[in-house]
Amino acid sequence: MKVLVINAGSSSLKYQLYNMTDESVLAKGLVERIGMDSSILTHKPTGREDVTEVSEILEHTTAIRKVIDILTDKENGVLGSVDEIQAVGHRVVHGGEAFKESALVDDASKAEIRRLFDLAPLHNPAAMMGIRAAEANMPGVPQVMVFDTAFHQTMPEKAYLYAIPRVLYKKYKVRRYGAHGTSHDYVSKAAAEYLDRPLEDLKIITCHVGNGGSVTAVQGGVSVDTSMGMTPLEGLMMGTRSGDLDPAIVPYVMNKEELSVSEVNSMLNKHSGLLAISGISSDMREITEGMEAGDANSTLAFEMYEYRLRKYIGSYAAAMNGVDVIVFTAGVGENSVVLRQKVCEQLTYLGVELDEALNAIRSGEPRRITTANSKVDVLVVPTNEELVIARDTHRIVLNSL
Amino acid sequence: MFFKKIGVVGGGTMGQGISQMLAAKGLDVLLVEHTTEKLDHAYNMIETNLDKQLEKWAITKAEKKLILSRITKVAHLAELGTCDMVIETISEDLEAKKAVFSQLDQVCPSNVILASNTSTLSLTELASSTKYPERVIGMHFIHPVSRVDLVEIIRGLKTSDTTFAETRRFVEEVADKKGVMIYESPGFVTSRLICLLINEALHVLQEGVASAEDIDDAMRIGYNFQHGPLEMADRFGLDSVEAALERMFREFGELKYRPSTVLKKMVRAGHLGVKTGEGFFKYDKDGDRL
Repeated sequence: MKVLVINAGSSSLKYQLYNMTDESVLAKGLVERIGMDSSILTHKPTGREDVTEVSEILEHTTAIRKVIDILTDKENGVLGSVDEIQAVGHRVVHGGEAFKESALVDDASKAEIRRLFDLAPLHNPAAMMGIRAAEANMPGVPQVMVFDTAFHQTMPEKAYLYAIPRVLYKKYKVRRYGAHGTSHDYVSKAAAEYLDRPLEDLKIITCHVGNGGSVTAVQGGVSVDTSMGMTPLEGLMMGTRSGDLDPAIVPYVMNKEELSVSEVNSMLNKHSGLLAISGISSDMREITEGMEAGDANSTLAFEMYEYRLRKYIGSYAAAMNGVDVIVFTAGVGENSVVLRQKVCEQLTYLGVELDEALNAIRSGEPRRITTANSKVDVLVVPTNEELVIARDTHRIVLNSL
Repeated sequence: MFFKKIGVVGGGTMGQGISQMLAAKGLDVLLVEHTTEKLDHAYNMIETNLDKQLEKWAITKAEKKLILSRITKVAHLAELGTCDMVIETISEDLEAKKAVFSQLDQVCPSNVILASNTSTLSLTELASSTKYPERVIGMHFIHPVSRVDLVEIIRGLKTSDTTFAETRRFVEEVADKKGVMIYESPGFVTSRLICLLINEALHVLQEGVASAEDIDDAMRIGYNFQHGPLEMADRFGLDSVEAALERMFREFGELKYRPSTVLKKMVRAGHLGVKTGEGFFKYDKDGDRL
């Protein structure tokens, strides 16, 4: 079966085409600047040269039309005809409480996604546009939605409720949902597989640290707690997001600086985190360079970032009464040797013993970075959210036939 | 109707605010002024305003760049022929506005909505200068446009249902603001009610019932106003308040609209409010109360 994976943003659309017989990627690409007269389509057929096209793409239906055109193009395409695409998988950021796992797209599931627009006003409408556009271009082809929140639906009440009046949960579903579920799910399974140990027996802490970041406590293969909350603002310090802070700061600052709701939201989501403290950049690579050059603000930004991450690891070890495996993944987790080192150096109380030589290795494969004596296995596992979406889509469509 | 490219005629305070707000919503804006100097000034003011928003963390540097890149400076109305809608924001001069509408009527295809941001003038009269009056409508934004989420949509005598429905859709779905429907009448709803409140506050001041400070505190704290009526007048510009009251006084003929003498005196003395640094209160160059 050939599966097209789509990740639609409000003005962009990423795609990957999988052949599920061997889980190989036939092509991937990206449409940027949708809605403008000079939209850019970058197409990367596996093993061949990238192709870039600039044209007017005013909405998502045209964007998917263009993607299909290039996938079936005589010169740059990888398919003989559009009919070869037998299923489409969509990434949907927010599945609320309704979706505990991936689901087939039908009228009922679409109506539910629309109900969730309120909780993810930036992301879910874009995913809906992607779904509608795929339906318009490939009528009759089964589609599946894969949610960032679904993996965390196993969290117990004590972990997902906030200690505020319960009427807010009843009326508006204010609770912790978490994010990056597809990634936490994938890397926890891959870690167990790498260690050749049964997932059911393991206490795993997965650290998905990229531009956004979250930590999850995975016990017996299910998420029992995660650092992101109702929105992706809670938890770790991130590139431009504050993560945890005293909630009383929000009304205080709004009052002092006469900020509106959207201004304070923008401040916490786009002007905080590494960017705010370093004053230089939201990118961990530049922060690390700044730190190596002796820049005091970069050093402070790095220390705060590492400290918050380490506190979360400690609290999730406490939550599970122990930890067997710690996994680093995503942009920063997979690539920052120094961040992993600094975190592990202060986890000796858990029995972590870092192997500096192993930690320094760069590779695209899952790998261990602790010594043979270490009581806790610390792994680096490159994440692959698209593959999870393709696998779920493949499985659900096969079952529905 | 698909709204992607919007013409904005006039680069004054409202023209700047509307252009900036539309560009921030992802629309392409063609901003028209008579001279290059005026165009450059308007564009620079938008940039300054975006810098202020950047300081307040409302936008990022990348967003500022993107917003500015969507605003194109245009010197002639004739270049607005490809716009999906045109909004006129020049000063409140009926004859000048009529001239703009009659030109736009020739330049834009007959299904393109021509809107005016007038706060007091008659839409029916503006529309009379065009061949297709059914596409003329009022869209009254309130300053500061990016922070006030209300638009008064004013129907002239001949405005068609389609024009109204599409304008409302534009306001609510594209500009993401609340649209209220108003039939043509001097001062519409917002200006008529707020000017009366200001005028009454001036009578209270004149009668020595309370000081300017106490009048504003009473209304600000007592009724949860962001600014009291006298500071509001300072922010609108005392000359604008006087002109609006005079116009309503003439149209309705009722004494309650007659501008208070203290207002007239202030205007004659050149104390126009925030823009001159002094009205009923004093202000710094950023418009903050001293």
